[in-house]
Amino acid sequence: MSQPTSIAFESKSTFLQRHSSWMIQTAAIIAPFILFGIFLTFYEVNPIELYSSMVATTFGDLYGFGEVLLKATPFILTGLAAALPAKAGLVNVGGEGQLAIGALFATWFAIFYLDQMPALIGIPIMLLAGALGGAAWASVVAVLKVKGKLNETITSVLLNYVAVFIVGFFVHGMLKDPNSFNWPFSPEISYSLRLPVINGTRLHIGFVIAIVLAVAVWFILSKTRLGYRIRVLGSNRLAAERAGMNINRMYFWVLLAAGAIAGIAGMIEIAGIEGRLRATVGTNFGYLGFLAAMMAWNNPLRLMATAFLLGMISVAGNKLEIFSGLPSSSVNILMALVLFFILGSGKLVKR
Amino acid sequence: MEKHDERYLLKTKGLTKVFGPLVANSEIDLVVKPGSIHAILGENGAGKSTLMKMLYGVYAPDGGSIMMDGEEVELHPPTKARAKGIGMVFQDFRVVPALTILDNIALSVEKGFTFNRKKLKQRIIEISSKYGLAVNPDAYVWELDLGQRQRLEIVKVLLAENTRIIIFDEPTSVLVPQEVEAFLNMLRMLRADGYGILLITHKINEVLACADQVSVLRSGVLTYTASKEDGLTADQLIGAMMGDKELKTVEKQSGIQTSSELALVIKDGMIKGDYGEVIIQDLNLQVRKGQIVGVAGISGSGQKELAEVLFGLRGLLKGSIEVAGKPLKPDVRAFLEAGVSFVSEDPIKESVIPGFSILQHMVLDGMELKKKGLGIDWKALAQELEQSEQAQALALAASSRRADTLSGGNVQRMVLTRALIRKPEVLIISYPSRGLDIGTTRTIQQHLLELAKQGTAIVLFSEDLDELFKLSDQLVVLAGKRLTSPYETASTNAAQIGQLMLKGESA
Repeated sequence: MSQPTSIAFESKSTFLQRHSSWMIQTAAIIAPFILFGIFLTFYEVNPIELYSSMVATTFGDLYGFGEVLLKATPFILTGLAAALPAKAGLVNVGGEGQLAIGALFATWFAIFYLDQMPALIGIPIMLLAGALGGAAWASVVAVLKVKGKLNETITSVLLNYVAVFIVGFFVHGMLKDPNSFNWPFSPEISYSLRLPVINGTRLHIGFVIAIVLAVAVWFILSKTRLGYRIRVLGSNRLAAERAGMNINRMYFWVLLAAGAIAGIAGMIEIAGIEGRLRATVGTNFGYLGFLAAMMAWNNPLRLMATAFLLGMISVAGNKLEIFSGLPSSSVNILMALVLFFILGSGKLVKR
Repeated sequence: MEKHDERYLLKTKGLTKVFGPLVANSEIDLVVKPGSIHAILGENGAGKSTLMKMLYGVYAPDGGSIMMDGEEVELHPPTKARAKGIGMVFQDFRVVPALTILDNIALSVEKGFTFNRKKLKQRIIEISSKYGLAVNPDAYVWELDLGQRQRLEIVKVLLAENTRIIIFDEPTSVLVPQEVEAFLNMLRMLRADGYGILLITHKINEVLACADQVSVLRSGVLTYTASKEDGLTADQLIGAMMGDKELKTVEKQSGIQTSSELALVIKDGMIKGDYGEVIIQDLNLQVRKGQIVGVAGISGSGQKELAEVLFGLRGLLKGSIEVAGKPLKPDVRAFLEAGVSFVSEDPIKESVIPGFSILQHMVLDGMELKKKGLGIDWKALAQELEQSEQAQALALAASSRRADTLSGGNVQRMVLTRALIRKPEVLIISYPSRGLDIGTTRTIQQHLLELAKQGTAIVLFSEDLDELFKLSDQLVVLAGKRLTSPYETASTNAAQIGQLMLKGESA
């Protein structure tokens, strides 16, 4: 008896069963576009025209493609800040605040310490400062979670508001540009600290950083021992406990890592686009990243695609305003619809 | 038997309930009379709860009939049963902790859109003083201990209109001894007022103290019925519950070297439960290398908590625990490093990781993790697993299968393979043969014996006395919040252990 009898008996399933989860997910992404199209027709906007022009601008020329990638960059990072904790069984909705504090730290360093630095030294330090800021902000959530047994979903959301006001406090005070005619924003950071841009577009290397981080998080989660442990923890906390893992320590560091990634998004906003800190830096990027992560079922590779899609929608918002007179924020309706369908399909997809 | 009294509140005839291949209740005939306490006795899994849930309308019977007031009635769902005057006090109380007692009672008693707090409070006070059920209507439920919560449940049932029959599901399991006495007194008062009482229990002395009728269930069949007039004795009831289980005299290697090293020692321990209640006190336990110590006890006597303490998942409130002479803090990692392995009593909940393959479960506690760069060499592990004699002997399913799609028996095979592969110094194992067929059970038992022969100290929790006797060198019994001193398996018998399970050592 070398071979036990019951080994290897994979259950057969029909094509539909095997692919149903894939099909439901696709439908959940297409359906909101149809609904939004109906909405558009009420305002006498031809949805097909809009969608095709959306595709055309995105893929039509380098500039348009660059714009979409540019928009997608922060979504990838804040999406990672949601997806990574999700794999450990945590819900981090704090990407918004972590991004803001990251931007604050990065600006602070850029203005006070890095002003004279060459790009090769200054930019990495500024990046680390952003990561540090995001991590520091996430550590508040982490400590409350580990020591205070407070639900991280709630604390991270609430702290978003605190973070935005903290940034406001600084741009109205210590960080205010003396030459700003009293506008609440920081002085511009040194030109050498601006992220290099690809010719013919506004796209900067921040996009590369985001891609590298997404691949790195994917690699860590799916290929390394650390990632294995994180996934065990996220899938069954009791089993992780019984395997001798220090659960609280893992929660703590995963949240800090997520905060650091969101903080990097904040730094990229400053060094790549804005050039100076405003209280409105990255508004909604945290939530949109969270949305991107949900659409990707917290898979970092798929996240790149969903962030790209959200980038397309954002760019389309500008177009909508120009072509039809609808405010650009009406694409928020589309994003909300996407969210609803994703949430709704979640129940159906589960095995 | 019913010659002198034809009155009844409820009568069942041939009541049957089937779950898939399992016949939970078969052809049950039962009579509940007014002003009498009817005790339902039986071991775990004998079908007591199923029977009661049919009477309370939770389950619809698959066969047979229920008579009330001279006509056949349907009790499913529970609202119908309640309307017919049947109330039930559950083991796990159905209360809202954030509300006061008054509001909790109002939830179940008041029907209209508004309710009169004052009047309801008055009624609560009346009822509770009448039956000695001390409750404060304005106290919040979260402040109450389990005994008080139970009293709340009882008041709730009594306040419901037209309650005639009250079913108590293991009511004394949450009570301390003094409360038990008061509880039994209350039962007698209810009896005097004409209620029909069904008391599910496995505590013989309570039955002897108050029951008018006793029915014993075994494997879903009513095997024994008697009333007080027939004269009830403890031995009779124990015999009826246990059946004539024939215990094989096992030729297990006898006379384990009692001089071998101590592998696991607990001294003067005390364990508290999740609600801060004392689960086990004055806990002393010694397990030597190569020894199997079986822990017997009616389920819910603290097995789960004791097992968790032995693996560092739960701390001792007092006393100390030593593994191989080294005192350990409650930290799973330290226990794992000291060579302790753990098979939980609920592996589906506590061990299975959704979406992970069998192989991926193996390295958590069992196979040595093979490194490959930053990752894990799954290929080598898969090979090793497939070739391991344990996996083959237990007929483990293919290592690539997702564990959350496995049946209960296959999950059991998985966690057991994991525990056996590791060849632990100490193995804490709960209900090893649960959900397994006889063949696999034998294999597992054989493996456990061999493991012990190689020097592993094993603490075996089981509900199955057969299994305990077959495998253990010593038996200890959990009963009455205590662990008895060890009994040599060779010099005790099932009847004695059964007595201990039901009564504890002092009785």
